[in-house]
Amino acid sequence: MVVLETVLDATWEHVVLVYTTLFVSILVSIPLAFAALYSKKLELVVMKFANLVQAVPSFAVVAIMVPLLGIGFTPALVAIMLRALLPIVKNTYIGLTNVDPALIDYAEGVGLNQWQIHRYIRLPNAYPAMFAGIKFAGILANSIAVLTAFIGSGGLGEIIFQGLIGYNTNTLLSGAIPAIMLAIFIDLSFTILEKKVTPVHAGE
Amino acid sequence: MQSKRLFDRIDSIRFTGITKRYGNSFAVKDLDLEIKGGELLILIGPSGSGKTTTLRMINRMIEQDSGNVTINGLDTKDVDPVRLRRNIGYVIQNIGLFPHMTIGENIGLVPKLEGWEKKQQLERIKTLLNFVSLPPEMFMDRYPGQLSGGQQQRVGLARAMAMDPPLFLMDEPFGALDPILRKQLQKEFLKIKDEINRTIVFVTHDIEEALVLGDRIAIMNQAELVQVGPPEELIFNPANDLVADIVDTQRKFKHMDTLRVKDLMSPFENKYVLEGNTEVCDAVDEMTKREIENAFVFEGEKLLGEVTMVDLMKCKSKSQKLIDIARPIKTFQPKDSVAFALSELKNSGEYLAVVMNSGEPVGILVSDEVLLKLI
Repeated sequence: MVVLETVLDATWEHVVLVYTTLFVSILVSIPLAFAALYSKKLELVVMKFANLVQAVPSFAVVAIMVPLLGIGFTPALVAIMLRALLPIVKNTYIGLTNVDPALIDYAEGVGLNQWQIHRYIRLPNAYPAMFAGIKFAGILANSIAVLTAFIGSGGLGEIIFQGLIGYNTNTLLSGAIPAIMLAIFIDLSFTILEKKVTPVHAGE
Repeated sequence: MQSKRLFDRIDSIRFTGITKRYGNSFAVKDLDLEIKGGELLILIGPSGSGKTTTLRMINRMIEQDSGNVTINGLDTKDVDPVRLRRNIGYVIQNIGLFPHMTIGENIGLVPKLEGWEKKQQLERIKTLLNFVSLPPEMFMDRYPGQLSGGQQQRVGLARAMAMDPPLFLMDEPFGALDPILRKQLQKEFLKIKDEINRTIVFVTHDIEEALVLGDRIAIMNQAELVQVGPPEELIFNPANDLVADIVDTQRKFKHMDTLRVKDLMSPFENKYVLEGNTEVCDAVDEMTKREIENAFVFEGEKLLGEVTMVDLMKCKSKSQKLIDIARPIKTFQPKDSVAFALSELKNSGEYLAVVMNSGEPVGILVSDEVLLKLI
């Protein structure tokens, strides 16, 4: 039997791991997406890498961290980031480039400089795609954070694995249920945030 | 942040020896042209003639390969393009309203970037919306997608006027609109033009529009300026056959006597019909939805008259009914002669009439469209 305190501690570790990774991923992704606007080469590398890493099984990414970075929080963070980074970069980049060229042309025509075009035209137009990417990355991070328990990140994965190894359904569920609830929470919270920052375009 | 104005009024814009090449072909070749302060100069010509390129070289959206563009003697090459463009109003065919910003934010964007106070911005937005007959309280917080084509075009104009620029560049601003809408907006634009009294460079491919709006018309063909002058000079003294061909309105009237209204009218569409007991408020919404600027008011079978979006917007009490404000409109019979109908329209200063056949509306006669169909 697991005590409530252990579950709460594990949940907290899990939340910290997921949100730290997500936060760092966003910080890295958005400048990267903007940089890709300026360099065809970078765009190619980012997009190719995105598709490649997407294809590798998550567990393999986690496992490969051990010989490279050892075990613990940081290798777990890097492993999750590798997977979470790319949906954000890719979606942000697509959002930034999918702006009607006539709008950009017009913005230049009335005297907006490059920075102002990014800030007032490209970025707001990219919000919907960007948030879809962040939401997806959040859910992905939550599920990989379960796996990283194997390389010593702590979190809900630890309780789940204990339950699996000991054939203990109660232990297993006390890890799995909070993990599922977290996933639902991440999905909901980002959906709400997305609605808040995305203005209505068409008629009511 | 608030930058000093480059010029308070335009004395002249001068193109000297301007050439722009794309690969081996010329977009503009050896262009010398002077635009006088306060005039509306039309640039007209077939597509690929270099008219838009010429326009876009004024605000440095396109840079010439050789030659100079000077405004009031100031070479545009010596001015930061961002600063230059903030001193010039810009209107384009597909309007280019930013879909993620409200109408108010669209109009207020450049003033905001210029560091205006919030209150000052708001006041300017309200003044401009009133100026283009869109009540601010109704439109300020809407998004462009919620407006009809004609309303969006008006917002485009209001936005270009935000910084009160002494110069406007307009690239086929009415090009994407249907003929009735276009005519209505041209009429309003003429009024606005007289009121603001600014220098305007206007690109179009529609000679009727050019003759109606232009103080002077510059005809371009294959990257070269063919002739520039006031409309009457082009008509009576065309430089060559091409000019004569473009402006020769006489030829169009050759078979006028034999033509009947029914030959040249546009079919009547139900979208133009509104009931006399409709309230003004509902009529505005309905007309926005139907993308029309003019509507014909009927009471049952009986034609009461015409209303325009502008009339409705200016109407004091929104609960008034259309029956109270409809203006009488000319009607013709399908068998009437076109010459008769056109002179009637011209005498009354109108451009629109309904064609009735034994009490049934069957068509709409638009003076400009008649002319176009005669070509």
